[in-house]
Amino acid sequence: MATTATFLAPTGFSIHGWSAKTKVGRGRRPCSIKSQQQQQQLEKEQDQQPTQSQTSIPPQQQEKARVQQQPSPQPMAKSKNMSREYGGQWLSCCTRHVRIYAAYIDPVTHAFDQTQMDKLTLILDPTDEFVWTPDACQMVYACFQELVDHYEGAPLSEYTLRLIGSDVEHYIRKLLYDGEIKYNMNSRVLNFSMGKPRVKFNSSQIQNV
Amino acid sequence: MQQDRLSDWLVNHDLVHRSLGFDCRGIETLQIKTEDWDSIAVISYVYGYNYLRSQCAYDVAPGGFLASVYHLTRIQYGIAKPEEVCIKVFAPRNNPRIPSVFWIWRSADFQERESYDMLGISYDNHPRLKRILMPESWIGWPLRKDYITPNFYEIQDAH
Repeated sequence: MATTATFLAPTGFSIHGWSAKTKVGRGRRPCSIKSQQQQQQLEKEQDQQPTQSQTSIPPQQQEKARVQQQPSPQPMAKSKNMSREYGGQWLSCCTRHVRIYAAYIDPVTHAFDQTQMDKLTLILDPTDEFVWTPDACQMVYACFQELVDHYEGAPLSEYTLRLIGSDVEHYIRKLLYDGEIKYNMNSRVLNFSMGKPRVKFNSSQIQNV
Repeated sequence: MQQDRLSDWLVNHDLVHRSLGFDCRGIETLQIKTEDWDSIAVISYVYGYNYLRSQCAYDVAPGGFLASVYHLTRIQYGIAKPEEVCIKVFAPRNNPRIPSVFWIWRSADFQERESYDMLGISYDNHPRLKRILMPESWIGWPLRKDYITPNFYEIQDAH
């Protein structure tokens, strides 16, 4: 908790988790994404299947670290439409280090807006099993972005979110074995879920102890 | 013998079927073609088999057929050893469609849903054919011999 708080404090993030979100109008790819999205939205509506309403994974994501370059996060977002009769589907994938929701979760107020199902929110390591540096977070974010781009057009279902979540978890384990992140020795539950620390592993210093 | 009765009856009525012999408990096994199954199901109900003891399905061989198996028996007051028969319907793997017997024997409801969920055999005229064991958004037919488990983290590695 202490480590994430110091990281997050300058930009005013919340304490509990590190949420990676990107806004639509990122500096690098301004207009082409929007037209793609409109096309995706049209495709979404045309491809509605009668048995199961499926929407394709849109290219939008949300990223929190680039808040300065992007339109402000939605301060008026409130938790709404969470129950099933309002259409909230609670599409999510939750494993120990990766939680992906198909909703907009406000980083400050934790408002869970289920109507915005065109956004995917990634909450990274809420239990703080690892020590996260900003670079490592950026790498995980880049991997997440790549995966979502790869899965564009797939039906928006828990199955696809679980595939994405599992790929992100494998990527986090790769970061651990390469030494980019390490176990947090002050975590509440220290059970080395991604492998016990080993001596002379890949001939580089990986985990302390 | 008692066991041969249904087979003889069908032959007498010129219905195409193929006998697969007897299984270990002495129950005669027949193979029925998919297009005949509708009528033969009704015929066996009329003949007296009023209880579908179980319906299961299995994958015969990778690249081969999918089999849907029906155990029929006759429930009647006062009979200790009722007649039983086992019927197998083989469906091709690329388009596995078999007529549903839901409207004849109600116990086929969940059992056909399970066969659909696990092997992908779709039953025509089943009123609510959807996945029953796997999550609804699952892709793939888990009990087929050529199914590959997706590499989910929580299945393989999570602590």
